[in-house]
Amino acid sequence: MIHKLNPGLVNELRQIVGAESVLTAHSELLVYECDGFIIDKNSPDVVVFPRTTEQIASIVKACSVANVPFLPRGAGTSLAGGCMPVGGGVMIVLTRMKEILEVNLRDRYAVVEPGVVNVWLTQRLKGTGFHYAPDPSSQGACTIGGNVATNSGGPHTLKYGVTVNHVIGVEAVLADGSIVQFGGPTEDPVGLDLVGALVGSEGTLAIVTKVWVRLTRNPQGYRTMLGVFESVDDATNAISDIIGAGIIPAALEMMDRGILEALEAAFSFGFPLDAEAILLIEVDGLEAGLDEQRDQIIEICNARGVREVRQAVDEKERQKIWKCRKQAFGAIGRLSSSFCTQDGVVPRTKLPHILRRIKEIEKKYDLRIVNVFHAGDGNLHPILLFDERSAEQIERVLKASGEILEECLACGGSVTGEHGIGIEKIHYMDKMFSEDDLNAMRNLRDAFNPLNNLSPHKMLPTAGACGMEQKHPGRRAAL
Amino acid sequence: MPDTVEPQVQQDVSTAIHRAFEANTAIYPTGGGTSLGFGLPARREGLGLSTASLNRVVDYPARDMTITVEAGITMKSLAETLAKENQLLPVDVPMADRATLGGVIATNWNGPRRFGYGNIRDYVIGIHAVDGHGRAFKGGGQVVKNVAGYDFCKLLTGSLGTIGVITQVTLKVKPIPEAFALATSSISNLEVAEHVLSRLVHSDTTPSAIELLAGPNWSSPLQLVVRLDGTRSEVEWMEERLAEELLHDTSLQTEMLRGEEAVPLWKQLVEFTSQESPLTIRANVVASGTTKIVEAAQSIDPNCSIQAHAGNGVVFVSFSEFPGEGLSRTILGQLQPLATSLHGSVIVVSNPSHSEMTHQCVWGGNHVAFSVASKIKHQFDPKDILNPGRFVYS
Repeated sequence: MIHKLNPGLVNELRQIVGAESVLTAHSELLVYECDGFIIDKNSPDVVVFPRTTEQIASIVKACSVANVPFLPRGAGTSLAGGCMPVGGGVMIVLTRMKEILEVNLRDRYAVVEPGVVNVWLTQRLKGTGFHYAPDPSSQGACTIGGNVATNSGGPHTLKYGVTVNHVIGVEAVLADGSIVQFGGPTEDPVGLDLVGALVGSEGTLAIVTKVWVRLTRNPQGYRTMLGVFESVDDATNAISDIIGAGIIPAALEMMDRGILEALEAAFSFGFPLDAEAILLIEVDGLEAGLDEQRDQIIEICNARGVREVRQAVDEKERQKIWKCRKQAFGAIGRLSSSFCTQDGVVPRTKLPHILRRIKEIEKKYDLRIVNVFHAGDGNLHPILLFDERSAEQIERVLKASGEILEECLACGGSVTGEHGIGIEKIHYMDKMFSEDDLNAMRNLRDAFNPLNNLSPHKMLPTAGACGMEQKHPGRRAAL
Repeated sequence: MPDTVEPQVQQDVSTAIHRAFEANTAIYPTGGGTSLGFGLPARREGLGLSTASLNRVVDYPARDMTITVEAGITMKSLAETLAKENQLLPVDVPMADRATLGGVIATNWNGPRRFGYGNIRDYVIGIHAVDGHGRAFKGGGQVVKNVAGYDFCKLLTGSLGTIGVITQVTLKVKPIPEAFALATSSISNLEVAEHVLSRLVHSDTTPSAIELLAGPNWSSPLQLVVRLDGTRSEVEWMEERLAEELLHDTSLQTEMLRGEEAVPLWKQLVEFTSQESPLTIRANVVASGTTKIVEAAQSIDPNCSIQAHAGNGVVFVSFSEFPGEGLSRTILGQLQPLATSLHGSVIVVSNPSHSEMTHQCVWGGNHVAFSVASKIKHQFDPKDILNPGRFVYS
């Protein structure tokens, strides 16, 4: 389904944002043909770069009149094809709306434009004693508008929650071009929680043009530890024991032997290469309680036969550990030319089981699978390594991925903890949800986006038809 | 009171609503009936639907720190179940022996500890409900992290039973903190209060509640209460540090209440909004606007009693008498314009006289958001049979 470029519409777009802010050349459009999910690609017909909410409203109205679909895009770091323009149309790229409009410490909020890169806010807040809690590993590139669209997580969501727990208001342009504000700097807006409905809607309900985020007080101190385990079972049992004991670390991440090898080659941190798994455990909060929590964690790890628990000696070492963790995906290139990351979730007590199953699936399909993931949340990221030149390998990767996600569902989990449904997982929706559930979701979409011309063919399978089947595994860039 | 049906299993809710849909009968869902005065009165006759018998614990994998329960479970019963595993849902609700979880979610009710622990919306990770056709639907799941599909957990929070009747909920829960203390200080005037509150934003301590209290309901005319939760050593450290900060920076003397000593005041803080009053309103403003709302309320009724979750800018005013100049003049003429200037709103929590309960008085006027909400309402309940009249839909 290719939309013929409508010269009238292009002219109108040029009038709205200026000719220099409209791309139509094929070579320029190629940049926008996909996000981090590179299996299905499709170029938009036009890319526009608005600078104001009013411009977006005008663009949306022009598209509606011309009957051309449209969708927003941030930095394109998403991993499920959420900003892939299915069927072409107009892509509204928000990266020029990049102002931090207000920082209000007294009332603990900041107001940002959607194109503000996550880490810019962190940098702006340095020295204030506050931070913006959601910290996806792609935070150096991803935008807050994109974080809102996908309800992004990150390593520290275990204690602090995901994006939706920190967004208190949004300004948005609806599919009919009207400008609305839901919520704002105050809590409990009257009526339905429309902010909560928009966060995580993957750009299918509205285009967010301004975001009010809650700021969080910085913790007084940290204890950052690496628990070195001889077996994956011991490590996953320790995770389950820590959570079961009622300890909520700020972060609790697991890296297995496969990923450690790549990390060590990339960063020379000094990870022991003969360990089967390392837990990265960080507790934060009041100094008065940290040693106690640390000791309790060490005791639990000891009971699970940990070889050693190393503690970061200073802030510099702590930062280095986090750099290794957050850039883990960059290091995977050392193991394989192509890889496919899954994003399943299981109840935390099921971690030992699911990791064993992943091992079995790895053997069954004769693949290599490495793991680096948000263990404390039960959010897995098994990374399946392959060579994309081999069609036969690709097929095995797809089957293995499917089996892992099915197992997550069988454990009472989810097929996506933080990456989203987008186009990638659309065919899993009817496995998680009944037809009535999906119809209720369509009802919500229809209330916001009745013509389904805002980012069509995303998240919800077409009623009564099979979803898009995946033909290729992707080479994802981050997690 | 209308006739009431009391479904015994969740499926019966679908059946009852489907029947009502066919017959075009209004359905008034109730949990414990503790918030029936909240919102506008019913618009037409209909059938009550009590969730009281839907009170089972469906699944409690305590080591996952999640629990799945039916929506009619009382907050007290839920708390008792969780306490056996040393866990809690840190949402403080009055009349917990009657108030149901479904009702708390439907009214988006949050108590003092919202400052440190967040709101009920932050704890709901899975939800089942029945729409105005009688169709059961769900959102979320059983795991703490999940972005599959639209977030009905959020959409139903605060929906006042107008787009679906909540039947089952999965929550994430927290460990019960080892210790807590209440730090209380008398404050001389509102100017000092704002100075103290703005100082607390930068405190080294991590309060779970910051309450500003005023009026005859409380032991002193103007009072600050800060709740500290944590391990024993954390709470001890915070007690000392907070007292130091308040004395040094704001010259406030602090009294610490610990353990049993703290219980009566804490109970008062949780139960305040359940007390009968000729008129109770809630203002939601930026935190720095808290004292301005207190000042305005006191100028209308010098004998009103006030509880402000001051860290969050949420102010409950319990009037000592129904305002002589009437509800419209008080709310539309004074409090709403002030709240609007502080980026927020004012709503009526209860008005037993039912006098002047217009939608402008009760709900204020974010007409843009209301019009979007109306479209959602129409999708989920096209015949407007779920709690008709309670909220403003066009």
